[in-house]
Amino acid sequence: MDESSASHRLARTGRNPTAPTAPPRASVVIGFGSPADDSGITRLDLNDILIRNGQATFLMRIVGSAMRDAGIDADDIAVVDRSITPAHGQVVIAVVDRDFVCRRLHMQGGELRLCACDATVADIVPQEETELEIWGVVTTAIKSLVV
Amino acid sequence: MLALVDVNNMYVSCERVFKPRLAGRPVVVLSNNDGACIARSNEAKDLGITMAQPWFQVRHLQRSAGLIALSANFELYGDMSGRMMTLAAEYAPRQEIYSIDECFLDFDGVRGDLVEIGRDLRATVLRCTGLPTSVGLAPTKTLAKLANHVAKTAERKPGSYPSGLAQVCHLGRMSRHALDEVMRATPVGDVWGIGRQMSARLNEGGVHTVFDLLSADVATLRRQFSVVLEKTLLELRGTPCLEVDDAPAPNQQILCSRSFGEPVTELPALCEMISQFASRVAEKLRHQHSLAASVQVFISTSPYRRHDRQYSPRATTPLIRPSADTRVLIAAALRALAAIYRPGFNYVKAGVLLVDLRQPGSTQGELGLFAEEAEVEPEPVRPSLMSAVDALNQRFGRNAVAVASAVRQARTARHDSKRERMSPRYTTRLDELPRARA
Repeated sequence: MDESSASHRLARTGRNPTAPTAPPRASVVIGFGSPADDSGITRLDLNDILIRNGQATFLMRIVGSAMRDAGIDADDIAVVDRSITPAHGQVVIAVVDRDFVCRRLHMQGGELRLCACDATVADIVPQEETELEIWGVVTTAIKSLVV
Repeated sequence: MLALVDVNNMYVSCERVFKPRLAGRPVVVLSNNDGACIARSNEAKDLGITMAQPWFQVRHLQRSAGLIALSANFELYGDMSGRMMTLAAEYAPRQEIYSIDECFLDFDGVRGDLVEIGRDLRATVLRCTGLPTSVGLAPTKTLAKLANHVAKTAERKPGSYPSGLAQVCHLGRMSRHALDEVMRATPVGDVWGIGRQMSARLNEGGVHTVFDLLSADVATLRRQFSVVLEKTLLELRGTPCLEVDDAPAPNQQILCSRSFGEPVTELPALCEMISQFASRVAEKLRHQHSLAASVQVFISTSPYRRHDRQYSPRATTPLIRPSADTRVLIAAALRALAAIYRPGFNYVKAGVLLVDLRQPGSTQGELGLFAEEAEVEPEPVRPSLMSAVDALNQRFGRNAVAVASAVRQARTARHDSKRERMSPRYTTRLDELPRARA
């Protein structure tokens, strides 16, 4: 793999194989229990924070920049929850003519549009013959900032 | 009251969730060597493609009918199955996961309209996972299976059953007359537990539909058929004979077999594969905390290669001391292979099967008696070594650690199944996520 594609991959996965890793876990006997053991406190878990309904949640890779003004860029990971009822103003994954498309849902006064968040990209206004389905609601965009 | 919840055309439905282009088109999923159709969309069924039909017999439909074929992607199906099962489990106090795409629910103690509950379950699974299901409700497992069959068929073939029974069918809540109509419309071979042979024999005796079976004389049936049919009959009449089992017994046999991408004739290549299969069954064996008392190996040529000489032997090596140690099982498997291998044949399939499974502690104290001639462990089993191997493979992927004779095959994957048409593992691999255009 050449260097540019390697760094590209790093940016996407946010993982750096050359970075120092945590020391291997060893079993250590400690005389006193950790004071945190019995307090019922658990460390924050990103799964709990980012995922409301695990069985209905899927990850998707964003391709393209039409959502950049919503803070969603190419290569970001969208956390998509299928159990949420789509509503006006939400960012959704729609199936438009059998392709996954990420857009902001405009649904007011009986009008339905899929709005790009980039002034140079036209909205998708479904026509009679357009096959359209809202596949899921994007709850979070995960963006790796590691360079 | 019980329910059988079952995903319609499971493997195809999983593919369609992530490939909207497949909607409405004939689609089949092929077995792991791309040899046979193991799942069919309704459109593919309408083309006359039958279950397990060899791919080469229907390949021409790609061009003539737009048929799409995909290689089985069990990682995807397994994850989607887990989602569906978890959602379904929330609807009843007890669940028995019966296969990758179906589970029994026991609604004992649940109040409310079960048809409504079934519809809600179906809608929730569809919304959350994209998978369409059918729900069959009835007082016994066999009837719940039948109800599920009715729910599915009523949806797929309008006119086969009353349309109100589509998707969710409750046989326990029908009038006598309506129930008789359903039983008259159902061939006896569609009943769970009645195989093709028994169905043919029943047909000869004038029993064609479930209604005929229910009207038949029990004493006569008992004389002509096994006690199994009697149980089936009792279940069809509403008397439960099969329990919902939420803690299934350990598997009584463990198999790992595979068809090869291309024929294999040489012994070393077969040794590698058999070693790898033996490693896999050993892992499964340890997973269910059992020991094996014998190891069976089979190799097979292809009946479809009509100009080849055919040879499909199998052999079993007994173990004096039951074991779950990978090294012991590989040694036994290779001894069996050496006994049956003949050069000059084009082998296309091989496998390792463990049938004589024991629980630890139940073994007899005949240690060492036949030490010279038997596959006794060189030293006591080392459970800690084997669990370490399992843990490493779990963490770093299969074959991260392997016994040396299984290595070459594992690393080069020369004979790995074809799987030319496999879709990405959308839900289990970060670099294979579905893509959304923005």
